[in-house]
Amino acid sequence: MHSSTSPSERGLTGTREGALPPGLRKTAADRPGQAQPVPTRDIPLKPWARMGALVVLAVAILTSAWEWTARTRLDLRAGDIDDSPQAWAEARRAADHAQVAIVGDSRILFDTDQGRFEALTGVRPVQVAHVGTNARTLLEHFANDPNFHGLLIVGMADTMYFGMPVIGLAGNAVHNYAKNDKPSQLTGLWLDRWLQNYLAFMDSDYRLSRWAPRLDTGWRKGPDSPYEDVWKINEVFPGRQYFMWGRIETDPYLRGHARHAWQGFKGPDIPPALADKVIARSAEAVRRIRARGGDVIFIRPPSAPELRVNEQHRIPRKRGWDGLLSGANAKGIHADDLPQAQNLVLPEWSHLSRACAAVFTDAYVRRLVELTPRLKLRAEAPPPLSRADCVPRNIASL
Amino acid sequence: MIFNSLTFLVFFAIVMALHHAPFFSWHQKKINLLLASYLFYAAWNPPFVILLWISTVVDWWAAQWMVRAKRERTRKLWMLTSVCVNLGMLGYFKYGGFLLDNFVHVAGALGIIYHPPGWDIVLPVGISFYTFATLSYTLDVYLRRSAPAGSFLNYALFVTFFPHLVAGPIMRPTELVPQFEEPRRARANQIGFGLALLTLGLFQKVVLADGFLAPVVEAVYDAPNKAPGMLDSWVATLAFAGQIFCDFAGYSTSAIGVALCLGFAMPDNFRFPYGAVGFSDFWRRWHITLSSWLRDYLYIPLGGNRHGQGRTYMALMGTMLLGGLWHGANWTFVVWGGLHGTYLSVERWLRGRFKGFAPGRMSLLGLAVLTFILVNITWVFFRAKTFAGASVVLKGMAGLQAKPDPLIAAGPMVIAIVIVSAIFGTHLAMRNTTLEAVVERTPSVAIAGIWTLLLFAVIIEQGQGSAFIYFAF
Repeated sequence: MHSSTSPSERGLTGTREGALPPGLRKTAADRPGQAQPVPTRDIPLKPWARMGALVVLAVAILTSAWEWTARTRLDLRAGDIDDSPQAWAEARRAADHAQVAIVGDSRILFDTDQGRFEALTGVRPVQVAHVGTNARTLLEHFANDPNFHGLLIVGMADTMYFGMPVIGLAGNAVHNYAKNDKPSQLTGLWLDRWLQNYLAFMDSDYRLSRWAPRLDTGWRKGPDSPYEDVWKINEVFPGRQYFMWGRIETDPYLRGHARHAWQGFKGPDIPPALADKVIARSAEAVRRIRARGGDVIFIRPPSAPELRVNEQHRIPRKRGWDGLLSGANAKGIHADDLPQAQNLVLPEWSHLSRACAAVFTDAYVRRLVELTPRLKLRAEAPPPLSRADCVPRNIASL
Repeated sequence: MIFNSLTFLVFFAIVMALHHAPFFSWHQKKINLLLASYLFYAAWNPPFVILLWISTVVDWWAAQWMVRAKRERTRKLWMLTSVCVNLGMLGYFKYGGFLLDNFVHVAGALGIIYHPPGWDIVLPVGISFYTFATLSYTLDVYLRRSAPAGSFLNYALFVTFFPHLVAGPIMRPTELVPQFEEPRRARANQIGFGLALLTLGLFQKVVLADGFLAPVVEAVYDAPNKAPGMLDSWVATLAFAGQIFCDFAGYSTSAIGVALCLGFAMPDNFRFPYGAVGFSDFWRRWHITLSSWLRDYLYIPLGGNRHGQGRTYMALMGTMLLGGLWHGANWTFVVWGGLHGTYLSVERWLRGRFKGFAPGRMSLLGLAVLTFILVNITWVFFRAKTFAGASVVLKGMAGLQAKPDPLIAAGPMVIAIVIVSAIFGTHLAMRNTTLEAVVERTPSVAIAGIWTLLLFAVIIEQGQGSAFIYFAF
């Protein structure tokens, strides 16, 4: 296959050792209206092999130092495998034919100990809840899925469920669900998990571009600074098992920041008309799931008094939670009604500590089996847990 | 598959091992590369490999029959067959929804209410790139600029070769097919420099474009019902200038590095474009393989500068409008192309009017800054999804928002300004040289140190495996 090449370029095609002198590095822009020749790639005269070896060594040292910092100074650990849209999509696919699936916002995500659930019932629920979202989005998503015939547990934070003006992050997850199962995404997910089982620094909350801007603690008046964002508060384990990050319980600065990020769940009161609309849509979703043999049970995990007072003010329990259960003709479990789940530890006010997640799960699962014939308490189920199993003695420091 | 993914690292390691293994013949190595390239493409959406096959087979046979044809009319018929099949596929997948929307609007304006079913067609990744690559093959053969490829394997590998397949550089068959004709194996220096280029490309994409610049852009361009002020609008637009450069040039640099590791040479696609003085200079530096493709297969056939001033301006404008549309099925892209066409036309007129003008050092700097500012104005239409969105940002840039909303926090803003200033300064400083020349005269220890920092930054940034912006084109 011939091409037209200017005399000065002949002999300069392909690769060439040594940088070309100025003016000889032609591009297609210099050759209008002709077939383009094989391009020239000049290789700077350098000891590339030795330099490469030096770089590998230096990067290995720097990365090891960074890993050491992550483990010792930042308290990150290998095995905390992060969540991702692909991981959510994977769980969602698994939920299609699951006996029990959990949807909702971050509270039910943090506050459900899947191991405890399984130990009590013999069934491991598929966790499909999502942080920063309105649970109704996910409830309706399952209502539209003809494959799902199981029990759907819908966890909710009332202000998010009834008043969130936009559908939240689960909306993106649902929208991109079908796009997140491409072969390269699946292999990427597997490789990423494999590496995260060995490397602690691989944590999306401690990416270079995430922590560097956090130095800005609100320098400019008006826009939300990175300080206002929710920083790392969780660890994630296989099966999208979220738990409160231990450092939130032990580090007053990070705990204080996490509390600050919630801004007290303050906001305008939720208009009755909006709440009624949410209840009507929820009722329709519940009806559709039941019509094909599935069932729905709502759960309201606890929140600390500092948040609860605002939540209650914006959407009182009677109008929100009670209205939902009666409007949707559904059963539900409210944390207020579980004696074993009172005064548990919520380090940043919105989610339970890891130890208390097991206590809350224990409490709600024991109530759950009374509400539905789909789950039974195993004969060899462990004995009930209580507040004493998770509340540290120095609770006042939290 | 994308370069900034763990999957690609494993894939590339396997391809490198197979390509440099001593026990395969050159023919077998080419088959390995072809299969790897199909795997690379199928890893995103397997069924779309069929489109690649259609494009490959149709253009191969069109070129074969073109050279066998005795009559000019028959040659033209085969050329048109190739053009129709390629542009037909591109039109259906990329512009079908756009054309339908516009038809509905026009019909509505004429009082005809038409509600078509939704156009829910997935855009095959990189279709604009490989369509142009394969078209250049049949067009070059038709224009008698080159002979058809001697082997179907070489031709199929040219179309599919994974480094350039989904986002360019848009290669011509004469640039790549000859490289498949003889055994190629990269030497240690080529592999070393190729890996350095791959690191630089990944740093641009993962750390700069995705990590630091994209959030600043999104804070303004993806903020509905907000009125950004002058500072926020300019910073977001400048950040987008940096983001799109780092994203796309990052891909091209990675692609060149990957190909080099396999022993193949790919053409430059960017030459410090923000150091351009004027718009004809800009387009000799920005997305070179596209701009030269448009020049050779659109601008020149439209008449180029051979038929008087008026025709030249029309050809220029037509080329840039279609070039804009190539980037996306949206009128905002057409306006982006139109603005560049206008800039080029005005520059051409000024060059004719002030023929003897030879700018001094400061004038050159001023013109470079002016070029950069005007290019940034075009980026508003490139980034905004709608004209309403673009007008909000333009209004902000002009300082016309009555009650502007501060949208970008100080920390990310400072970081974005530093990065974009560094990019602009680097482009200005290197506008008359090449990366290779600068690397060659820099001490090896310094190069190794910079390489280390770039690679370390990529590792600790981790990346989210987000697709390159140009994948959507």
